[in-house]
Amino acid sequence: MRELNVVGKSVIRKDALDKVLGKTQYSGDIKLPGMLQVKILRSQVAHAVLKNIDCRAAESLPGVHAVLTAKDVLGSNTHGIIIKDEPVLVMDKIRKLGDPLAIVAAETEEIALQALFLIQVELEELPAVFDPEEAMKTEGPKVYEKGNIQSVRKIRKGDIETAFAQADIVVETIYRTQMQEHAYIEPEAGVAYLDGDVVVLRVSTQNPHFDCKEVARNLALPLNKVRIVQAPTGGGFGGKLDISVQIYIALLAIRTKRPVRLVYTREESFIASTKRHPYVINYKSAADEKGNLLAIDVTVIGDTGAYASYGPGTLTRSAVHATGPYEVANVKVDAYTVYTNNPTSGAMRGFGVPQLAFAHEQQMDMIAQKAGISPIQVRLLNVLHTNSKTGTGQVLETSVGSMETIKVAQAKAQEVLAKSDRKGGTDRIKKRGTGIGCMWYGVGNTGLPNPAGAFVDLMDDGTVNLMVGAADIGQGSNTILAQIVAEELGVRFEDVLVTSADTGVTPDGGATSASRQTYISGNAAHLAAQEAKKTLVEEAARMFEVEKEQVIIRDRRVFVEGAEENSKSIEEVIGGCRKKGTMTIGHGCFNPETTGLDGETGAGSPYGTYAFATQIVEVEVDTETGQVEVLHIIAAHDVGRAINPLQVEGQIEGGSIMGIGFGLYEEVKMLDGKIKTPSFATYLIPTSMDVPTVHPLIVEEPAASGPFGAKGVGEPSLIPTSAAIANAVFDAVGIRITELPITPERVLAQLQENQ
Amino acid sequence: MSKLLISFVLNGQKVSAQVESDMRLVDFLRDEMGLTGTKIGCGEGDCGACTVIINGQTANSCIVLAPQIAGKEVTTIEGLGSYEHLHPLQEAFIEEGAVQCGFCTPGMLLSAKALLDENPNPKHDEIIRSISGNLCRCTGYTKIANAIEKVVRTKS
Repeated sequence: MRELNVVGKSVIRKDALDKVLGKTQYSGDIKLPGMLQVKILRSQVAHAVLKNIDCRAAESLPGVHAVLTAKDVLGSNTHGIIIKDEPVLVMDKIRKLGDPLAIVAAETEEIALQALFLIQVELEELPAVFDPEEAMKTEGPKVYEKGNIQSVRKIRKGDIETAFAQADIVVETIYRTQMQEHAYIEPEAGVAYLDGDVVVLRVSTQNPHFDCKEVARNLALPLNKVRIVQAPTGGGFGGKLDISVQIYIALLAIRTKRPVRLVYTREESFIASTKRHPYVINYKSAADEKGNLLAIDVTVIGDTGAYASYGPGTLTRSAVHATGPYEVANVKVDAYTVYTNNPTSGAMRGFGVPQLAFAHEQQMDMIAQKAGISPIQVRLLNVLHTNSKTGTGQVLETSVGSMETIKVAQAKAQEVLAKSDRKGGTDRIKKRGTGIGCMWYGVGNTGLPNPAGAFVDLMDDGTVNLMVGAADIGQGSNTILAQIVAEELGVRFEDVLVTSADTGVTPDGGATSASRQTYISGNAAHLAAQEAKKTLVEEAARMFEVEKEQVIIRDRRVFVEGAEENSKSIEEVIGGCRKKGTMTIGHGCFNPETTGLDGETGAGSPYGTYAFATQIVEVEVDTETGQVEVLHIIAAHDVGRAINPLQVEGQIEGGSIMGIGFGLYEEVKMLDGKIKTPSFATYLIPTSMDVPTVHPLIVEEPAASGPFGAKGVGEPSLIPTSAAIANAVFDAVGIRITELPITPERVLAQLQENQ
Repeated sequence: MSKLLISFVLNGQKVSAQVESDMRLVDFLRDEMGLTGTKIGCGEGDCGACTVIINGQTANSCIVLAPQIAGKEVTTIEGLGSYEHLHPLQEAFIEEGAVQCGFCTPGMLLSAKALLDENPNPKHDEIIRSISGNLCRCTGYTKIANAIEKVVRTKS
């Protein structure tokens, strides 16, 4: 790949300065004159009919400006990511603990809280269902009249019956994965105020344009009378895609005619926000005696909780990725999205793939063992490569870095992992092992249109305004989009100012999810820059009396290829354009080339490109306490092209640590629909003490359809880690944990069982 | 609730203020003093986003009452550096890619500062321990530790 000027360089992100100075204004830091504080009254029961709600006492409390219930919602009372099944404020039926019943705007948070206590709620509790397998039965409580199975995604390819009948090796295992919490350090927050007849929201969000559509719908307003400005956001990981504060603050801003502010408490964030779907996976693999995969037969049951949220999308992605990054000719998958009265499950980093990876990577190791080959060998035998066909029949034409990531990871593992001190004798308490986890991840929404747009304005002095809808939630999209535009226009990174995620100014960028912004918004920004450059290049060609193709713009100088010493400044050429009355602006939009999935067979080409990765971990298992410590993570990620290597490393390091949390520590514990661990004291996310030596390795197999070949890395970084840990635990102590998280209790129980 | 008149030093300046006896220090700093660099991540003393330095030791300001700082020296992130004069830790955080969403950053920087003020030459383990009360969900901590190590190396 040729070296570029800005793309591929680890330029320093621009927002870092204000962040280290403590000057960045997150939504909760915004103070507006006359601003009121908002609190939400939430249901304390999981399943009930709401009979009456009396707010009169609350309304009369001095300092209270408004108390709203369902009847006060100006437009439609439902919202939702895919299905509009979630109430803004409950009208009739409570379906989960934490469902919103009323909202209060008051002078202070204390007064708002006092007002909540004065609201009288009359309800009739209903029998509830908390187990998704129970919920799937025809008898029992119904979360919705139409039944608890929201949908099923099916993949049918080839002939699994024959394949299983002919198989030399069959491995069947049931895996269970837990509910995981995003645990962004900034709780949900937002402020809203009226600017003339436009209601303006500054919110912590991953998808301002989606927020705009929901607010407009629920307030019966035209879309352009709702302006959502994403405030600097303290992490999202998929948990700030669903509506949280937006509709409430918009309603109250309109009702009170005052600015209003709503910031969740941490406990509220735990209770009200979505979670990673807990899964029950029944995974059956068939292989020949050499370890070649022949077939898979997988059933996935995903507990989506009380509302659909991203459920169908998550289970769909799980189904598509169920094979793992391997070629399998015969595939049967049934992935069920099931309603229960548990908290809602929605999008969380990895979106149904970390759970499947935990399963398919252990299956691969078990197949390897039966075939008498190593875990690396079984993967090299089966891994997808250029021109492979996936489980949905998509042919992978370019950018299949799976094999390369295995080789790169393996080479690094040989270099860094301790050769001594492995396993040791029978009297050794701490045993070490290594494990491998491979993954693949389709970039973008599965088989659905999900475009992004961008505007570029190259100004008279060669500086640039870039307007993109993409929300930067800390991952650094603003930085890499500026790099792409700077590269294309031939200016410096410092010359590009990014305005992002403001529905009053920027075109829709789609959600910051599905690891899609570098690929999709990156392409949009690239196209916009190319358009803005057109008149500039034409003018330069005229000035130099050459063909357009011979004009080069680099580092703000314009010259003819081969004659760099005779250059003009970019300002001079832009000046030439202005004299003729031509502008240097551009727009771009990009939507990945995909097809939908067939409803019965799942056949289709659901993604424009796929990311691949291999992680090898070394663990140490304490056989007396059951504790598992991760010593090394070697993470080789095929990102197509690293627009900013430092930021890619940051994603790999951050994601793999979240993967350790998923694998070892994190579990939202539930009892009858109530979260028993709604705090950082009881829900344990990794601290600095839990971090191993991480070796991030960037592999680049350029995607023909990506901007400068780039794909994505945000979610891939988390996906294979827990699988690699599980395989490493087996290598260390010979036990296979098929339930997450891999707690000391589970390890000890299995060790004792083995004895 | 009653109000108390307290005097203290805040970011190097002497301050006298009336504070509600039951007001949290974090709310006093953010709402009364307008210093919103100190963040609220949990309000329960678990996450460290509200870290400040009181008489040389870090504290979670969400579980400190404002009157408790009477007669003491308090440093918030606003007192660490400025656009004109960044603290070496701030420079290192920027250079090493230790900042992503930035919400944990003020707390992290102050924990690192408190460590280096007491021990300018910490070992790797001591650095890791010094930030163990600051939760970060974005970076995986490695580049934060790298940034602190860089300052240690540069100074020595």
